[in-house]
Amino acid sequence: MRKTALRISRRTLLQGTGAALALPWLDIMKIPRAQADPIAGLKRGSQNNRLAYLYFPNGSAQGSWQPEKIGTDGSLQKLNRWMAPLESVKQHILVANNLWTPRGNGHGAGTATWLTDGGYNERKIQVTGRSADQIVAHRLKDQTVLPSLELSVKGEGHFSGCLPRNSISWRDAGTPLERETEPRSVFDRMFRTSETSAIDRSVVDVVLEHARQIKRAGSIEDQRKIDEYLESVRGLERRLDFAEKQTQQALDNRQVTDTLTRPQPGIPTNHQTYVRLMLDLIVLAFWADATRVCTFMLDHGQSNRYFDFIPDCKGTWHALSHYRDISGRTEDDDGKTSWNTVTSKRDMYNRVTRWHHSQFAYLIKKLHGIREANGRTLLESSTLCYGSSISDGHNHGEDNLPLILAGYGGGSINPGRYLKPKRATSMSRMHLAMMQTMGIDIHRLGDEEEPLELL
Amino acid sequence: MQRADQVLPRSRTSTVLHLFSSVGCCFFILALLCSAKTLQGQNDEAGIRLLQNQCLDCHSGPRADGELDLSVLIKQRPLVKEYDIWRNIFQRIALGDMPPADHAKLTVKQKEAFSNWYTSAIYNFDYDSVRHPGYEPVRRLTHVEYQNTIRDLFKIDLADVSKFTADLSGRSGFENSANTLFLQTGLFEKYTQSAESLVSRLFAPTAAAPLIRAKQKLLKIENRQLAGSERAREIIRRFGNRAFRRPIQPHELDDLLKIFESTFQQHGDFDAAIQKPIIAVLVMPQFLLKVESETSGFEPQKISDFDLASRLSYFLWATMPDNQLLRLASEGRLSEPQVLSEQVARMLSSTRARALGTVFAAQWLGFDDVGIRRRQDPIDNPWCTETLMEAMRAESALFFYSLLRDNQPLHRLIDARYTYLNEELARHYGIKGIEGTKMRPVRLKTTKRGGILTHASVLSVTAFPDRTSPVVRGYWVLASLLGTPPPEPPPDVGEISAQVLNRDDLSFREKVQLHSRNPQCAACHQEMDPIGFSLENYDNFGRWRSRQYGETIDAQGQLPNGQRFVGAAGLRDVIVSQRMDDLTRQMARKMLTYAIGRQLDFYDEAALRKIVETTRQDDYRFQTLLMAIIESYPFQYKQQFQSASE
Repeated sequence: MRKTALRISRRTLLQGTGAALALPWLDIMKIPRAQADPIAGLKRGSQNNRLAYLYFPNGSAQGSWQPEKIGTDGSLQKLNRWMAPLESVKQHILVANNLWTPRGNGHGAGTATWLTDGGYNERKIQVTGRSADQIVAHRLKDQTVLPSLELSVKGEGHFSGCLPRNSISWRDAGTPLERETEPRSVFDRMFRTSETSAIDRSVVDVVLEHARQIKRAGSIEDQRKIDEYLESVRGLERRLDFAEKQTQQALDNRQVTDTLTRPQPGIPTNHQTYVRLMLDLIVLAFWADATRVCTFMLDHGQSNRYFDFIPDCKGTWHALSHYRDISGRTEDDDGKTSWNTVTSKRDMYNRVTRWHHSQFAYLIKKLHGIREANGRTLLESSTLCYGSSISDGHNHGEDNLPLILAGYGGGSINPGRYLKPKRATSMSRMHLAMMQTMGIDIHRLGDEEEPLELL
Repeated sequence: MQRADQVLPRSRTSTVLHLFSSVGCCFFILALLCSAKTLQGQNDEAGIRLLQNQCLDCHSGPRADGELDLSVLIKQRPLVKEYDIWRNIFQRIALGDMPPADHAKLTVKQKEAFSNWYTSAIYNFDYDSVRHPGYEPVRRLTHVEYQNTIRDLFKIDLADVSKFTADLSGRSGFENSANTLFLQTGLFEKYTQSAESLVSRLFAPTAAAPLIRAKQKLLKIENRQLAGSERAREIIRRFGNRAFRRPIQPHELDDLLKIFESTFQQHGDFDAAIQKPIIAVLVMPQFLLKVESETSGFEPQKISDFDLASRLSYFLWATMPDNQLLRLASEGRLSEPQVLSEQVARMLSSTRARALGTVFAAQWLGFDDVGIRRRQDPIDNPWCTETLMEAMRAESALFFYSLLRDNQPLHRLIDARYTYLNEELARHYGIKGIEGTKMRPVRLKTTKRGGILTHASVLSVTAFPDRTSPVVRGYWVLASLLGTPPPEPPPDVGEISAQVLNRDDLSFREKVQLHSRNPQCAACHQEMDPIGFSLENYDNFGRWRSRQYGETIDAQGQLPNGQRFVGAAGLRDVIVSQRMDDLTRQMARKMLTYAIGRQLDFYDEAALRKIVETTRQDDYRFQTLLMAIIESYPFQYKQQFQSASE
């Protein structure tokens, strides 16, 4: 198996103890840079790559997504002031323009269909089928302990219990995947393998057998639900399989003695600490090869979180996104915040967007700081998409969505450019291209058959 | 937005709108229905022809405008399958939103023909022709049900569900709908952790006295002579019978005993070995899922007595059936009408039935958001304590439960002269003489309070964090409470302009009114706004106030039909005198949805109408409504579908 030695050494680390909240290992574990360009010559995707989607709600103000200077070859020469945090990683990103969603841009439907190939049916609580991340996860499901990892920051305020606004990953048309919000739970899902448990194989076998019996007796409707149950138990079984396979190898890899900290229980109160911890966990998941597919909702689809901790910022995110109305008296407002000018309110909205850019830049840098046994950095093996399903938050536009791709997809992406297709292009074509970087044989999503050219 | 070509149609539709908004759309439709009776049969397909000729250009195919593909819709049979869509189409046409301004208008005659067709083909559809009890699919327990079931199974509150991924709600508004209750590996792992942790706490060598008692109950069997495997079998049998909410089957018992034996043979420690099958039971589908007994064929079948016991207990108690229900089920007597009504009466008098307030009413009316999604910043508002918010939720929950327990008429929900208070909540309301933290029934002397509309819980979840919203409150009354939501805003609706909002010469009320004067918005705002304004004497957390923004509150309301009313008291009178049928229907719809754990479908309409009629005939009594739901076809029967998509 690939990269076994490295992976297992980290498993051993997990048994150590520590007290810090952040995960300090990311800086320690670097391996010296290889001489030759490890991805030169590679053009095709590979199932050993990693795929991540990072969603943010409420869109981005018109103009804030336009790079300031673009070279004649399309290279990104200077981003704008609101994209400043990405300036130092601009060689690793593709800023997309002219991509749109044919599936609706609302806070509910737009969120629910960000990764799907068709629209959202509110009455049936259904999308049209498996989402892009899950198509990949399903094809790779036997290769890692977790087929995919769904993360989200814990919602605040109105709509935090609303299904479509909290769901971007769908296992099938009617089944959104549950999303982990607590850092410790995420960590435990990846690394609880070695713990002893009363739920061993004998129990799992009994449980599975009885579920199958119930399934045989049930109606078609029941069978779907029992399948869901069976699938959830198989996840546990998969963990047992991986544990058995790896125990001996784990013992063999005791030479690395640094510690890796299990995060504290609960949700960190500092929002930046919280988001970065979740991003660390994504890096950790990719590094440990606990999964190759991850989605992270940086907030639910109509977040009304306060970003008061950003200097010169007041009011909730969703209210800020409707920046042309400064009265503070609309149905969106909290009643205690108002603004002096449209410009100042739009600037605050942009500051929230910029704050999220710095988190994304953090992820890019972390991924690029870790080199794997094959000589590539994690970023070089990754395909990342970061963006929203709404373009300008005030107009609720569906054209020219704010989207940034990052990473090299193991050589199947050529970043550092402004990606501007001539015609308005469906996001489905971007999903197709991204899935193909994962070595997935897929040639159609919704109405689209032509992947977006990323090289 | 002023367009010359709109003048004529607007004045024409205004008569329709006047009818429409004055007494709610049901009545409007009813009025049309009467006039249409005579025309019935003459134009079977008139409405469909009209849509084909006038609307299909834009509304067909995969890229249909508004995602409304009429070419598919008109082929569906029965048409009422998509009742909500049809109702929306009808409203749009009646209001004149559709066809849009840049298309040919419908003539008065065409509109009339469409109304007539709609009334006979959709509204007046013969639901007896599609009689079907529906099918309540397997679903997992909600987190609340899980916690309660563990509590009643072990006779001690042991489960901690705070780490479980939150249950989300979809369109039914209830967390117990099978189609929003998902079970994935993350949650399954939490079930396994929960099972292991609660069993190990129970068996801990240094457990506290209540835990020791619970453990003793778990291990107690009648025949004290038994030991080893024989003893284990008896313990697992007793436990399984209750955990599975029906007799444990021999093969289930055998498999669980094997799990015991493999550990017992290794270590010889009975207490250690018996934990393992108990943990196994707690993660088995028979426990975690609500599984009903096998159905065969595709004919309607009466549900079994054990299934009835579970349906009753999860509906009325949000927990597992108790021993008495299980015993009656095993004797096959629970479904006997006399026994059933005795049991329902017994269950309603148990404190467990408070779940109808804390779970059902809380999710229906939305007051479970208080303190969770709705709260005030504690630094600026030190009065807004956890205990106050808990009392707010408890007031509404206990009040709702008391109406049911005492078999009050439904209108008491609106106009009761009592409520539940403790000292802190009474102070919040400015009511004196209530001391202590205990919630108790209080007869109200003031007219400022009384009925659900004046509960701080409801008033705060229908406000914004720092101010009230008459529109949201009006919408809540019409949509959530009465089940007659105004149509969605037209697709190209404008918004309140900044110029209007920044004008200092207008009061808050005048600004909202100015916005609502937009002809496209007026029809619905005329219905929503007066309702919301009549509740303006209650602030965003339900406190009484007489002034806002330096202006005296104007709580007058006038409905489009000209009827004037003032304040919450006036609104109460309007609802009780004019909207009881809507309230009854909405309560029946919501309660039936909750009782059977699925969204209602078009074929449930017949049962719904029967429940409403039965309730009306018995002076709108709460328990009559509840009993009619329990006796209804979808609650008592089930029928498999031939294919999942149906």
